[in-house]
Amino acid sequence: MRSFRAGVTALILLVGSGLSFAGAADLKIPPSPGRWVTDTAGFLSPGTTQTLDARLEAYAQQTGHQVIVYIGKSTEGYPIEEFAVKAFQAWAVGRKGLDDGVALFIMAEDRAVRVEVGYGLESVIPDITAGRIINDILIPKVRAGDADGAVSDAVSAILGAISGEAVPETPKPGKNTGQAILIIFGIIVFLIIFITNPSLALWLLINILGSGGGGGRRGSGSGGFGGWGRGDGGGGFSGGGGRSGGGGASGRW
Amino acid sequence: MATEATPTTPPAPKKKRLFGLGCLAVVIIALLILGTWGVGQYNSLVSLDQKVRSQWAQVENAYQRRADLIPNLVETVKGAAGFEQQTYIAVAEARAKVGQVRLDESLLNNSEAFAKFQAAQDELGSAISRLLVAVENYPDLKATQNFRDLQVQLEGTENRITVERQRFNESAQAFNTKRMSFPTVLFAGFFGSRFAEKAYFKAQTGAETAPKVKF
Repeated sequence: MRSFRAGVTALILLVGSGLSFAGAADLKIPPSPGRWVTDTAGFLSPGTTQTLDARLEAYAQQTGHQVIVYIGKSTEGYPIEEFAVKAFQAWAVGRKGLDDGVALFIMAEDRAVRVEVGYGLESVIPDITAGRIINDILIPKVRAGDADGAVSDAVSAILGAISGEAVPETPKPGKNTGQAILIIFGIIVFLIIFITNPSLALWLLINILGSGGGGGRRGSGSGGFGGWGRGDGGGGFSGGGGRSGGGGASGRW
Repeated sequence: MATEATPTTPPAPKKKRLFGLGCLAVVIIALLILGTWGVGQYNSLVSLDQKVRSQWAQVENAYQRRADLIPNLVETVKGAAGFEQQTYIAVAEARAKVGQVRLDESLLNNSEAFAKFQAAQDELGSAISRLLVAVENYPDLKATQNFRDLQVQLEGTENRITVERQRFNESAQAFNTKRMSFPTVLFAGFFGSRFAEKAYFKAQTGAETAPKVKF
């Protein structure tokens, strides 16, 4: 009876915490912009938006690093840090497994700016570097009324910081062939067991299928859509990474 | 063996035996299904449990990062002429207290120890923000590059703590939901504290939110 009551209390607590999580999810993250530079607030001149977009697209094709710029109007009272980490995750900025993306968020009406750095680039763009880019480059120019120059220079500084490190290889081909060999090996072993000991084989099969379901759920939890972000011919960025631990810096003007 | 050898066995018991064998087969199959189900439940609990633990490591990292910044912060403000001693002494003391709360994974299942850990960390957080407020009165100190860098690092660390704590709560919630859901709750009890409920980080009382300074 006591354990039952404890169970009920725990359930009530769980429901309560579930509600509070639901409350935290009220922050609306727009759908993935697709383009490298998105300006929904009319912050930049159309020419700058296009030039920067082309530049960042070319950069991603050359180096694999996805650097995106998103300019919105407001986060409606939520901290820009929270918006940044959620949008970064939702849009899966950076390559899968490398998380080597950087996003520059500007909220024009909030007068807030945030550089969000993926896990993979935290060593290249530490908080101090991101803070200097914001406080010494971007904000003074925005204050002086030169929004185009501010964003262009900030992007140049970000690219400059990344270029200081060696570009990691896309971990695609080796991993795939390795996996294929493993699977084939597994099938052969399974066939041998099946011939020598069918009941054991059946048991194994049920088990593998059972745990396979769990694995699938785990995979979807990490979020992000597939794709390798290797600039698929003229299209916008398509991520796969998106993991950032809140690295970067923010500022207000 | 001996009974089987007797040729005079009537056909009725043979049928009975067949029936018995059939029952045995049904029981074995039922046990097999139950066993498979149990293994599946166990494995998914283990996988959720591991996710909570790895997320806990991330939380620890973020807190460690903040603790590592303290000596530098204290040194920097000490140098400023006439800076209020008690503010940085409070930070150093809170830092020492945090070091005393031993972190290990058993903390996750012990809500009392978990709350104690959180209280110590929260105290350090509020001591830091009090110190940053005090710095507002020292424009010379505030303007130094060293202090500005420190401030950016502190803000970044607070933000990391917030992010990792939130993710920890999400993974703990996933584990607890699975553990407390109906069929699993019967099963998880067999393993005692192995699958005890995970504790959550409570909502911040405002003391630990990233200190914001307007420029």
